[in-house]
Amino acid sequence: MTLEIIGISVLWLFLFLYVIVASIDFGAGFFNAYSAFTNKQHILTGIIQRYLSPVWEVTNVFFVFFFVGVIGFFPQTAFYYGTTLLVPASIALILLSIRGSYYAFATYGAKINHRGYIYMYGLSGLLLPASLSPVLAMSEGGFIKMDGDSPYLDYLALFTSPLTWSIVVLSLAAVLYISAVFLTWYASKAGDAKATHLMRKYALLWAGPTIITATGIIFELRSHNAEHYSRLLDLWWIFGLSFLLFLGTVYLLWKRRNYGWAFILLVGQFFTAFFAYGVSHYPYLLYPYLTIYDSFTNEAMAISLIIAFIAGLGLLLPSLYLLFRLFLFDKDYVKGKSDYHA
Amino acid sequence: MQDFLIFYAPFIVLVSAIIGAFWISLKDGIVTNDKK
Amino acid sequence: MGFEDTALLSRILTLMTLSFHILYATVGVGIPLMIMIAQWVGIKKNDEHYILLARRWARGFVITVAVGVVTGTAIGLQLSLLWPEFMQLAGNVIALPLFMEVFAFFFEAIFLGIYLYTWDRFEDQRKHLLILIPVALGAAASSLFITIVNAFMNSPQGFEILNGEFVNVQPLLAIFNPAVPTKVAHVMSTAFMTSAFVLASIAALRMIGGSDHVYHKKALFLTMKIGLIFSIATAIIGDFSGKYLAEYQPEKLAAAEWHFETEGDAGLILFGVLDGQEPKYAIKIPYALSILAHGTPGAEVIGLNEFPEDERPPLWIHYLFDTMVGIGMWLAFFSMVYVVGAWRGWAIVRAKWFRWLLLATGPLALVAIEAGWWFTEVGRQPWILRGYMKTADAATTSGQVDLMIILFAGLYIILGIGTVVVLTRMYKRNPVEKELADREAKKGGVQE
Repeated sequence: MTLEIIGISVLWLFLFLYVIVASIDFGAGFFNAYSAFTNKQHILTGIIQRYLSPVWEVTNVFFVFFFVGVIGFFPQTAFYYGTTLLVPASIALILLSIRGSYYAFATYGAKINHRGYIYMYGLSGLLLPASLSPVLAMSEGGFIKMDGDSPYLDYLALFTSPLTWSIVVLSLAAVLYISAVFLTWYASKAGDAKATHLMRKYALLWAGPTIITATGIIFELRSHNAEHYSRLLDLWWIFGLSFLLFLGTVYLLWKRRNYGWAFILLVGQFFTAFFAYGVSHYPYLLYPYLTIYDSFTNEAMAISLIIAFIAGLGLLLPSLYLLFRLFLFDKDYVKGKSDYHA
Repeated sequence: MQDFLIFYAPFIVLVSAIIGAFWISLKDGIVTNDKK
Repeated sequence: MGFEDTALLSRILTLMTLSFHILYATVGVGIPLMIMIAQWVGIKKNDEHYILLARRWARGFVITVAVGVVTGTAIGLQLSLLWPEFMQLAGNVIALPLFMEVFAFFFEAIFLGIYLYTWDRFEDQRKHLLILIPVALGAAASSLFITIVNAFMNSPQGFEILNGEFVNVQPLLAIFNPAVPTKVAHVMSTAFMTSAFVLASIAALRMIGGSDHVYHKKALFLTMKIGLIFSIATAIIGDFSGKYLAEYQPEKLAAAEWHFETEGDAGLILFGVLDGQEPKYAIKIPYALSILAHGTPGAEVIGLNEFPEDERPPLWIHYLFDTMVGIGMWLAFFSMVYVVGAWRGWAIVRAKWFRWLLLATGPLALVAIEAGWWFTEVGRQPWILRGYMKTADAATTSGQVDLMIILFAGLYIILGIGTVVVLTRMYKRNPVEKELADREAKKGGVQE
């Protein structure tokens, strides 16, 4: 295994973790706003405040970790993506700020529960995946072009491409689906039958669109990037496995049992699909300009980053375990029986 | 000497100050002594 | 759009983000130690007031941390968005501390979450205090790592450039560059100092507002004592920083001091205006610059004329330097007067006008922080990486930076106002007198 592959695997893993935890966060905000809109607010607000407030900063760090890691392992990406992503990334930052400030101002602080704020918070949960996911489309090539020495983003091509829009739709559907499955489980653990029922309904509702758009993207790649498409097809069996896991989740939800397992299967489904997609993208970071080999940092830096990463993980995993034990697996806390907030 | 001041002394001062801050925090003055 | 323009616009946006972020970052690094000291004193003295002090500070602290996370994410991404050429270069040599900074923050965020949501969950306060240690360490570590990156920009080392390629990269050598000790110590010491004074201002505000509760007196006395210690430490470390500058970045010190000719017996110039190369209306302290630079009154200090004109920092950083030093000196002096006065029972510390001065310490310290960072950043110009890359060559070629400036300006205004509104509302709704009474009532009744 080369250093390049270790580097990209680590980053891809973190991106995957971000996709899962951020989806839960984004989707929960949207469901919360939606129930406020339909006047069912009390069902979800408590759960969101108990689970999301303590962990959202941790969620955000996964994202920071990913982009700092990319610059560390593949400094050349700063040149291509840094230059072209100014506008989309800035918009994503603004949206992230809305979310961060909602936690700061509305849940920790003075409990400002102004409706407008709840809607903005909910909406930002949908707009964020929509503003972040086009980066995946860009990486397929054809949208970032060169003007002499400097790269620029061809917005017209990007926004008129069906590939971009399918990826955006998939990200939205996936966010709502992942979030709903998780919250079904969390609500059932909290013993909140009403919320469980509601979230299960949402989960089943979004399962279909998720799988349909995901399949659609594979076929759109055929015309957009034939090389990537053929590599994807080579990995058909992983996607098959992913589909079976998807069926498992839906079955358990349908039968109203083992919501914990349903969520674990869902993580498995996204893990397999995400990695199959990543592997087939190899070795390109940006078709056709940038591969993980020619953009890689020097060996000394790579080794020191990997050592730092292992040491850091040794510190973080036990801490994360402690955090989740307190807020996710502690029965009294989940049920809202104990509240020790400062 | 110059090298010592540039490379080591800053940390010595910082650590002493942190210890000093804990130490001085326990000291009472008239303001905090008078009534409970 | 011309190349120069995007560099200037990128500088403006970076300046805006950093100036806003640094306020939150500074209290973010400093306040965990303040909370820790208060809780520790509370346990030691078995005094409910200090424990409550820690708790109320922690409540406000989360809000500033949350905004700090947001602006920190912004500056993290903006570095790559606005300075892609620099990040490409930096990524090769100084990525390690950037990476570790994220880990340190991660660690801090996890334990902060645990600390906040476990008040009174432990029978023993000391166990709860233990959770605060990783928070304070994580905060200190993230300031350490990010300051290392900034130090590297000032005195880069640990690599060679051969035909535009990086060879012989030594990440550890890059980390342990000569700017690190003075810069890191100065950043941390000022963070503790500023946090102490900001908290002192809050207590002073309540006393000016008419509250005579001993809780506020304790808070004020505690924070002013800590502020005194760290303002003295800051002054001493600041002196070391002068020695670092004289040795490794003489042009920055020379520009800050309007010192043009290399000569001994150099005096320190305060304020004034510049007429050609002649300072006018300035206060001159004889020999002080030589002492600051080398520790002896006769020592030779390198002047600005030794450097080519296009490699000199702008001369107006003199005022930034004076602002920073002036405020620092005042705070050290003033906190000394207060602490001695409060200890000996002088009447002036209870005077109304004196409380207004106490109120001013926090805002003044924040102004000094801004002046200090502007000084060090503008003082590095025209370089982004001293000796290797100029700021103008590192900027993005994207044409939309101007639009982003407007966007982020709006964001920071909203976040700034939001912070103030939420914090005041939070404390007004639950004043300490009420909370103390509630806790008494709770204790008196049946145990939960």
